[in-house]
Amino acid sequence: MGRNPLDKLADQMRTDWDRRVGHDYRFWMGDGHLDDAHMWKTGERDCATVLEGIPGGATATALEIGCGVGRLLKTASQHFGKVIGFDISRLAVDKARQLIGSNASIELVVGSGIDLQPVDSNSIDFVYSFAALACMPVPVIASYFNEIKRVLRPTGSARLQVYLGQELSVHESDTLHLRSFTPDNFLKAANVAGFTVLSCVKNDISDDGSAGLGISNCLITLRPNEQLSASPDDIAKALLPNGESKEVNPVALEAWMALNYAEALADDGHAQKARDAVDYVVAHCQSATIDTRDILDRVIAKSSAVVAPDSAEVTAVDPSVFENNLGVLRDKFPAVHARVLAARDSVPSTISSKMTKDGVVLFSATTCLDHPEKPRSAAEAWVRRSLIETRFNAAKHIVVTGFGAGYHVEALIEQAKVPVSCVEGDTALFVAALKARDVRQLLAGLHTLVVGSEVNATSMDAGTELLVRPQMAVLNPRFVEQAKSSVYSKRGLTELHPRIAVLGPFHGGTLPTAQYSMAALQRMGHKVRGLDVSGFNDGYMLFDGFLKQEPRRAVMRSQYIDVVSNTLLEAFSEKPIDILICMAQAPISAKALTELRSRGVITVLWFVEDYLRFTYWHQMAKFYDFVFTIQKGDCIDRIRAAGAGAVHYLPTACDPTFHAPLILSEEDKEKWGSPISFVGAGYHNRQQMFSTFSSYPFKIWGSEWPTGKPFDRMVQEESRRVKPEEYIKVFNATDVNLNLHSSSERDGVDPTGDFVNPRTFELASAGAFQLCDHRSLLSELFEVGKEIVTFTDLPDLKEKIAHYQAHPEERRAIAEAARIRALRDHTYERRYEEMLSIIYASKYEHLRQREHNSPWAEMIRRADGDTELKERCERACARGEEPALDGLIADIVTGQGKLTEVEQKLLFLHHIRSQVLRMKREEAGLNN
Amino acid sequence: MKKRYPHKSRVLLVNITRLGDMLQATPTIAGIKAENPGCHITVLVEKQFAEVCKIIPNIDEIVGIDLNFVCRSISREKDGVIDAYDYMTKFVDDLRSKDFDYCLNMSSSAYTALLLNLIGIKRNGGWTSDEEGYRVIETEWARLFATSVFHQNRQYNSLNLVDVFRCSADVDQHPQKLLINVEKHALEHCEKLVQDARFTNTGPLVAIQAGASQGKRQWNPGHFVRLIKILTEQHNARVVLTGAEKERNIIDPIVAGCASPNVVSVAGKTTVPQLAAMLSISKVLVTGDTGPMHISVAVGTPVISMFLASAYGFETGPYSAGNIVLQPVIGCGPCNPNKPCSKPDCHDTISPELVAYLAVARTQGEVRSVPATVADPRNVVVYNSVFDEYGFMDLVAINGTPVDPHTPYRVAYRKLWLDDLGGFDVPKPVAKTGLRVMDQGLDGLGRIQECATHGQQLMDVLVSLVKDDRSSVVSLKNVNEQISELDRKIEELGFTYGHFGALTRMFVFAKENLQGSDAVDLASQMKSIYGDLERRCQKFAVYYAGA
Repeated sequence: MGRNPLDKLADQMRTDWDRRVGHDYRFWMGDGHLDDAHMWKTGERDCATVLEGIPGGATATALEIGCGVGRLLKTASQHFGKVIGFDISRLAVDKARQLIGSNASIELVVGSGIDLQPVDSNSIDFVYSFAALACMPVPVIASYFNEIKRVLRPTGSARLQVYLGQELSVHESDTLHLRSFTPDNFLKAANVAGFTVLSCVKNDISDDGSAGLGISNCLITLRPNEQLSASPDDIAKALLPNGESKEVNPVALEAWMALNYAEALADDGHAQKARDAVDYVVAHCQSATIDTRDILDRVIAKSSAVVAPDSAEVTAVDPSVFENNLGVLRDKFPAVHARVLAARDSVPSTISSKMTKDGVVLFSATTCLDHPEKPRSAAEAWVRRSLIETRFNAAKHIVVTGFGAGYHVEALIEQAKVPVSCVEGDTALFVAALKARDVRQLLAGLHTLVVGSEVNATSMDAGTELLVRPQMAVLNPRFVEQAKSSVYSKRGLTELHPRIAVLGPFHGGTLPTAQYSMAALQRMGHKVRGLDVSGFNDGYMLFDGFLKQEPRRAVMRSQYIDVVSNTLLEAFSEKPIDILICMAQAPISAKALTELRSRGVITVLWFVEDYLRFTYWHQMAKFYDFVFTIQKGDCIDRIRAAGAGAVHYLPTACDPTFHAPLILSEEDKEKWGSPISFVGAGYHNRQQMFSTFSSYPFKIWGSEWPTGKPFDRMVQEESRRVKPEEYIKVFNATDVNLNLHSSSERDGVDPTGDFVNPRTFELASAGAFQLCDHRSLLSELFEVGKEIVTFTDLPDLKEKIAHYQAHPEERRAIAEAARIRALRDHTYERRYEEMLSIIYASKYEHLRQREHNSPWAEMIRRADGDTELKERCERACARGEEPALDGLIADIVTGQGKLTEVEQKLLFLHHIRSQVLRMKREEAGLNN
Repeated sequence: MKKRYPHKSRVLLVNITRLGDMLQATPTIAGIKAENPGCHITVLVEKQFAEVCKIIPNIDEIVGIDLNFVCRSISREKDGVIDAYDYMTKFVDDLRSKDFDYCLNMSSSAYTALLLNLIGIKRNGGWTSDEEGYRVIETEWARLFATSVFHQNRQYNSLNLVDVFRCSADVDQHPQKLLINVEKHALEHCEKLVQDARFTNTGPLVAIQAGASQGKRQWNPGHFVRLIKILTEQHNARVVLTGAEKERNIIDPIVAGCASPNVVSVAGKTTVPQLAAMLSISKVLVTGDTGPMHISVAVGTPVISMFLASAYGFETGPYSAGNIVLQPVIGCGPCNPNKPCSKPDCHDTISPELVAYLAVARTQGEVRSVPATVADPRNVVVYNSVFDEYGFMDLVAINGTPVDPHTPYRVAYRKLWLDDLGGFDVPKPVAKTGLRVMDQGLDGLGRIQECATHGQQLMDVLVSLVKDDRSSVVSLKNVNEQISELDRKIEELGFTYGHFGALTRMFVFAKENLQGSDAVDLASQMKSIYGDLERRCQKFAVYYAGA
């Protein structure tokens, strides 16, 4: 059953405006004013225009549609006995409450966005709307017409600010572009809605760029007449006969506005605000047409780089300043003191200082580490703005990265109510700061100081929050990354509860890896959604039978992947996720990955393939925020160069709950066992090497093997693919398991082989003895000789087979050591701990914010006063239910004991919805 | 009449979603007021009906529930559910604070039942729920209501739901019509509309409601055009088409098809009070089973009402004397209201000529007979609405004897319920034989009665086992299994012999409403339920024999 289109539009408006207000209410709702005082002033001005000629008085009640943060309300409340401000954004209304403070004349309502409930009919004297209606979808405007008619007293009036002129139709879900109507259509709409237009006055005060669009900013005054209001559909038709456009990209304008704002902020030296604006675009407005990375770099560079001081400007240094600073440093931070002494005479010439009215500022090459003109006041403002972030509300300790000349650290100590520490990666810069100005008081006030060395994670306890100085992020990104990792990696594992989806391939050897991954994540307590798309494989394979030409097949396979991808997108719309982990060859399109990223989902690829053999990463890497590979070196560099957000090494692993020692029946031992076995597909190098084994007691299990001589004696069951539950029996029933990594090019052992296959870990975890071909990365994972035995070529292999067949006790000892190591270091749990630590290091704030803003989090906060309801929300959230009523009542069962009051109330809501839907179906004739 | 809760002082009447239902409750409301002077009556309706309810007499307070807000909130992402929950919590608290001593909820919806359990009103005349969320229907009349609207049983019922409703509320003294106030300014508005129409005819003003709640219940627009042409061209009538704005897609083509100065549409131009006023100045209304039909009856304007598709005249026919009800004779009618129909043949059994004949006749006075040549009883039954000696509405066929195999059962059930539930002294025909003789048409009744008798015996066994400390668990289990099997059999017999479905459905509802947890007490209640079934079987046979 689809939802009411009007409700969907309301949801869109609410989401959009909550997001914008959350970013910067003055920019999005107050014409970009840099301070509230200016905002109120323009509010007074606009309100005066709106109220011109409108009778007020102590008994009169006014209502504003789209009051935002209340810019006009304060002034309006002086004119009327009561003013009701309606806005769809809860954040805007909360902000309005905060900004306006106590005012008995003002009532603020978070509206549905489409009506004026719960305002009584015939109860309002004056309805107005300013800078709001033009951004609303036309069906919503039409609905408001109806509502205005309903709430206005017969003697009341309404004044609406709209744009008239040439018709500007935008996408119906667009809540930002200006809409404009022809004067004739607006008049018709007002008439069918039951209004008489009293006047239409051009509003020239606000410079909104409308003149350039061929439209005029107008204030229309309406009075209700005797006519009944037509339906919203008919009003909408009158207003815009051809309906809203389906074409305009609603995201582009928002991104464009935010990026221009960011650039203007950067030009004005408001680096952090500029960065916030860019972050906003990155988080919410990502689209194929906007490369935010470039713009981010440009904005950061603009906000950081200024002209470096020439030699005349460089300040003279008073040596006693440095010595005095050293004195405090020695007493409070002796380790840092020692480091500073060692570096005191090695400050490079690229570091300089300059005197401003506010004090000395430091430069590293062309980058000013402080504000180049007003270091003190700018630092105070930066700290003030930074501390507004909600994450600092509960912080017990704040660590700032970057010392600069210390102004922002001083401001932070002053403003933060918790201990403050500082980490500075560059000792020379710190020495320069100590020489430039007196920071004794600052040093004395610091909780911890780390200079020039790696940040120690152990000092970053659970209450620690990191504040990154933008200049530091530009100058020393690696240090900032390391600092973030220290603070957030481990903490993320315990504090974050992201919703993770694991997407496996249609078929092939990686399919079980996806299943092991999901199981491991579940054991780790994560909310995991397994996406088993293997059922789609039959359809995928059908193309081979229908189409002979490969290009045609490729086209259809691609379209098939699009269908699967769209299905996944729908699934994620129903049950949103935070992280998508795709295994190699996961069937998801670039378009779908882009869409998910635009929804704020972190995309991850665990590329458990040889990057030289499977090269689709060339095209796909850039659609992933993280790529994890089983190879190092060139592999990582090349995938990173292909555009992946971050690339890290992460070998495959084992699942000890599955890859375990088994007690086999005699029958199983007979069937699956052998003195020597191999499990795997018949790749070239394997065929080449094992063709010489026909005289050995050797069983080969797996697909794609020749079944003629000499393999007829070795290859089992006509070379069928063996299932994981079968090959684990082979491992257990075999004395010597051979593990030869595949190669389509080399004979025998590939001397350049680097990565380690899953079989290595699985054999180890099963307690099975294996002889593994030499791999360059193997010795990092197992101690060769003690935990694993390797071979380098055929004679070596045959010699070791003979040796270990003759020494079963050695086999047992090595297999046991391998098992201990595998269980300790190479389980999927260990791998996912590592993977998530890496993700959390850079995405902790994003994920936490997402969690904080998630529908469940909001519901849990709102349910705070009702213990049972709150617990029910928490349980539903933990179950991974959809954040909606259905999720909340999923575990309520009638007829199994007394229902609690909360349960009854929730069921009541559920039944109301069912009833109303049924009635609507009847009204729509669906049951006829 | 037998009464369960004769004295009421603070009454909540739940009638949330439909205006027609609200109007059909007006005799009950008036009756409660008449029988309980000083009683305060609150009605709970959907918020959009709250305004309209102000023109319904005898209501002291109207409480509106904003279902749309609840639904919108639930659908909204993030904390919308909590908004809905908070709204509902406050709503429940407000209702609790009103301290009602009696509630009448005749909506079978699950949510009203849950709401009433949350409010916690002790005495109920209709649907509520228990603490486990199960449906509870306390009174026998309310169970009869539920039984009668159960689709299988509908055509065996001849009690108008207005009467069943009022009996659920113990109302004896009641007006024999629906009630609504006509406002003066609404009347003036409508008189002006008629004046502005500039009709050239001078004959009776005939109102026509062409739209209906469901498409399949809506007479063919072509028939309406023909009807109107007959009325305006042959009978000097002036025709006003009523309806809501959303019905204009039906009405506008009818107006266009008539192309007459004597036809005007006020669809979408009248509020409910204005519609009531418009109907009050009309001589007759031609309609389907619609809300305007009930309004017309309430303002005293007779109706010619067509009960098409799932509509059934005995059940929801116009509640006052002297109205005409047209019920097509067709094997599939009344059909299931929840199922679509792609071939509504019932529409063609009623001709525009017949409707025109009846409309003209009714403008001249009550119609007590119609020649079979005008209305063939094999195609359509023409009923006139009357009240019987017990004050219950009934329909009397006026175009000959209907060819309807359900009639004897309907007659027997009517007498059975008036006797057994109402306590009225209904004259009994002399029974020819006992039930042991398999009378024609009574197949299955004896088997149901035998089950009922056996059930009482099993209850005696059960009680003795429960009271005896030495009873084994096995023997208790054995009796319980026999009881379960017996109950299943009774229900199955009701489905197999559909004309006795009402008897077994009443049994099932009663069983669902067993109260308490004491085994002996429960067994005693259950024995009484089997006893009720047995007694009703016997009475039914007697009344059927005389039908």
